[in-house]
Amino acid sequence: MTTEATVGRRRTWVRTRKNRVRTQPARLLSRGSRIAMWGGLWLAVAAYVLFGIVPMIGNIIISFTDYTELQGVAVHNVGFYNYAQMFSTQAPGLEQGLVASVIFVVGVTLGQNLLALLLAHKLVGAGRLAAVGRVLVFLPIALGVTIVGLLWTLIFNPGTGPMASLFGAFGVHSAFFGGDTAAMPLVIFVQIWMNTGFSTLVFIGGLRSIDPALYEAAAVDGIGGWQRLRRITYPLLAPSVTANVMLALVGSFTMYNLIYVLTAGKFGTQTLGMLSFNVAFGSYEADLGYGAAVSVLLFLLTLIVALPLLIMLRRRERKLLT
Amino acid sequence: MTRLARPRLISNVAVGVLIVLLFLLPVLYVLMMAFESPSHFLVSPMTPGSPDVSNFGTAWSSANLGGELVNTVIYSVIAGVLSVALGLLIAFPVARRLLRGHSVLYTFLFVGMFLPMSIIPMYAEARMLGLWDSAVGYILIHIAMPGLPGMALAVVLLTASIGSLPMELDEAAWMEGSSYLAYLWRVIVPLSRPALLIAFLYAMLNDWNDIIGPVVLLNNPALATVTKGIDTWAGSNSSQYTLIAAAVVIASLPVVLLFIACQRQINQASLAGSLKG
Repeated sequence: MTTEATVGRRRTWVRTRKNRVRTQPARLLSRGSRIAMWGGLWLAVAAYVLFGIVPMIGNIIISFTDYTELQGVAVHNVGFYNYAQMFSTQAPGLEQGLVASVIFVVGVTLGQNLLALLLAHKLVGAGRLAAVGRVLVFLPIALGVTIVGLLWTLIFNPGTGPMASLFGAFGVHSAFFGGDTAAMPLVIFVQIWMNTGFSTLVFIGGLRSIDPALYEAAAVDGIGGWQRLRRITYPLLAPSVTANVMLALVGSFTMYNLIYVLTAGKFGTQTLGMLSFNVAFGSYEADLGYGAAVSVLLFLLTLIVALPLLIMLRRRERKLLT
Repeated sequence: MTRLARPRLISNVAVGVLIVLLFLLPVLYVLMMAFESPSHFLVSPMTPGSPDVSNFGTAWSSANLGGELVNTVIYSVIAGVLSVALGLLIAFPVARRLLRGHSVLYTFLFVGMFLPMSIIPMYAEARMLGLWDSAVGYILIHIAMPGLPGMALAVVLLTASIGSLPMELDEAAWMEGSSYLAYLWRVIVPLSRPALLIAFLYAMLNDWNDIIGPVVLLNNPALATVTKGIDTWAGSNSSQYTLIAAAVVIASLPVVLLFIACQRQINQASLAGSLKG
């Protein structure tokens, strides 16, 4: 939600640090209060480490074991067995998982940003209608994956759903979420539908931070709409583009909760995240070690794709802004 | 309204129609479905019949929505409050630079916002610590679960918000002998309300909408959240379309009402404060 903001804030914060005189106001506190302060701080950090950081490390450890859901069964260190298994030909679903992930990530990242750009351009205004539009577009995020998933399952239900009737009128019959041809495009569509509101807000924030004086100056100089778009909006929107592309990319790479609700990974929609879940808790045997190995791979892949892209987009920002 | 040039007007109308078709119509359609009698819906799914509210009662009892909604409210409100409260306990010393490694600690928490969901180790940890299939365990895990970064976001937002409050406030209050926690509660909390509200809403909504967590971490149906309950129930009643629609409407009502109630704050905070490109 606040990538850009915090990045911006951290910068100012570092800058002001030098100018500030370091004071020791904590000495004004009583002993009990100081204990409360440090106790509270470390309690909170402990909770964060225990439930936020330990799982991240645990994931790597589990990926080297044969841990299963069965309780009371001894867990063994199996070295790189899960990783070797992953790349062997009999392994369930890695290749399809990779293909599905790539299609999903590319489709969502492109679709979500293009749609959000279009919507932000029209919803940036201060008018009543624009405000209503922003609420509508943002609502799916509040609804959450389960409600959104069920909503679209109802609309695309192949029996009596409205889309079945609509497509049927043109002689097209589809199983929608229940068939290989349509499932992936529809899952991509619903993911875009759900998250576009957020990207739109980020773009609106970016558009609003552009100084209106620039547009006025351009208008005075008689520079037309297209040139204004190219020379002012396009470069100055670059930071928002970076934030949105990264958010959509990382989000669609790692998140699978919507896919879980819509298809549970069937019909060619088993992305790597979904595969990791299904291997551990779904239809395959409960192989948590293998599932963890898949999610480690997914994490590495996300880094390999996201980091260079981030560097590239940052460089693009600098080039456009100077 | 100023008069718009013709092409501008056409494109505005086109985007307006797009928004209505894409974002309003599906929601309205499911709302209509919820009021359809099942027999009428099977015959003509596209047109509304005479309104029938029996779906709501049937869905409510059949999907056990009451109990599940209560569970969801308890989990998400307590977990949301805890993650914001703990976030505040970190944010204040960090914002005031009361500890030496404050920037390291801040970065450490900042990273938490980008951790991917990792349910497998979460499950293993819950099993090991005896937190699996327990309401208390479920809440504790959701304070700082990777992928649902309520606490990390709270720290980031609150550090910024507290950083903008003058330090003289602390000194004046502490000189008069105010205790630390009382000072946080009476002075910092009221002054940081917008940041607290956004952080709480974000954490709470994340926990409310979580589906993978309850599926893996909860087993007892009596502990199920509304997301898990409704998903499982819809899976085994998949042809009862009007009932599912009614359940969807009931389950989303609290969130929609909350969303509308806090709409202005969300809009302002996300546009003005946190998203400056």
